[in-house]
Amino acid sequence: MLTVGLNLKPRVKKSFDSDAQAFFTRVTVAGGTLSATEKLATNQLVLDLKSAGIWTSMKAIYPMVGASASACAQNLKSASFTGSFSSGWTFASTGVTPNGTSAFMNTGLIANTNLTQNSTHLSSYIRTTNIGSQVYMGCSGAAGPSTNLIYLLNFGFIAINTSDTIATSVVGQNGLFLNSRTTLTNTIQYKNATALTTSAQTSTGISTTQIYIGAYNNNGTTAFFSNNETAFSSIGNGLNATEEGNFYTAVQTFNTTLSRQV
Amino acid sequence: MKGYQLTIEQKESIQGVEYTPYQFFNCVQDINNVWFTFLSDSDIVAITDSEWSWILECPLVEYVPPTPPPFPNE
Repeated sequence: MLTVGLNLKPRVKKSFDSDAQAFFTRVTVAGGTLSATEKLATNQLVLDLKSAGIWTSMKAIYPMVGASASACAQNLKSASFTGSFSSGWTFASTGVTPNGTSAFMNTGLIANTNLTQNSTHLSSYIRTTNIGSQVYMGCSGAAGPSTNLIYLLNFGFIAINTSDTIATSVVGQNGLFLNSRTTLTNTIQYKNATALTTSAQTSTGISTTQIYIGAYNNNGTTAFFSNNETAFSSIGNGLNATEEGNFYTAVQTFNTTLSRQV
Repeated sequence: MKGYQLTIEQKESIQGVEYTPYQFFNCVQDINNVWFTFLSDSDIVAITDSEWSWILECPLVEYVPPTPPPFPNE
């Protein structure tokens, strides 16, 4: 008598957060692919941001997963602000690296039509430590206010919706850099979970141009190209100190799951 | 750093043109106002056997960047 053994195991269907699943679908439709670990890490990132109450503060989140332009161009937060990469980028499982000479990513997000003048943040998770006159992300109108994250040698010259800048001494060039404006007269610059400076810098306006990543959109002219690897970027409303701490924890957990934390 | 040296006509024909749905060519001028474009390894793969493969035949020349402008708001 022939006995057929069936190895019946209960099938467990992984259920992702609906926003995470929508992102995965956008990546697939764009022609990109994500590993199981990248999906799990991204899903947990969404859950952590929602749990901390800061998901709704985000306008654009670029997790930089999938090691391709089609995957890394996708915005985790929504189907808006899909990025576009110039030539000269290198895509890897650890993030995206511009060449420092000609490469940038256009987020398509125009500061003054999509952000609030007195509540704005920009962040970039920088993995490498190449030093130079470079802008991690930002934009400026003609002689108008800037919205940017800038690093010049060992100092950060930073502005959020103002023409003034803050010179901040930065120890180490890698980590999560976040510049946040929470009121008309308050900006805070963070590295990881530490506030580097708090300033009474007054907001004077908001740029009319699109925010670039990996370089500076100086009213249509691209300048200050970066050559540092980015493993996450975000644009959104201003974050207070508690929110920034929770944000850093979520992003660090995300990159740790992907074995690319610094 | 070496880049592909372009004529003005060549630059005009590719600047801002998409070579994949999420990637476009960007060209920059050197210190002598000569146009260059830079391609990563994945860019080269993307344009090989495409209508833009002629870029790979352009002279690969050392690039000297122009003097940077004043840092914004410095």
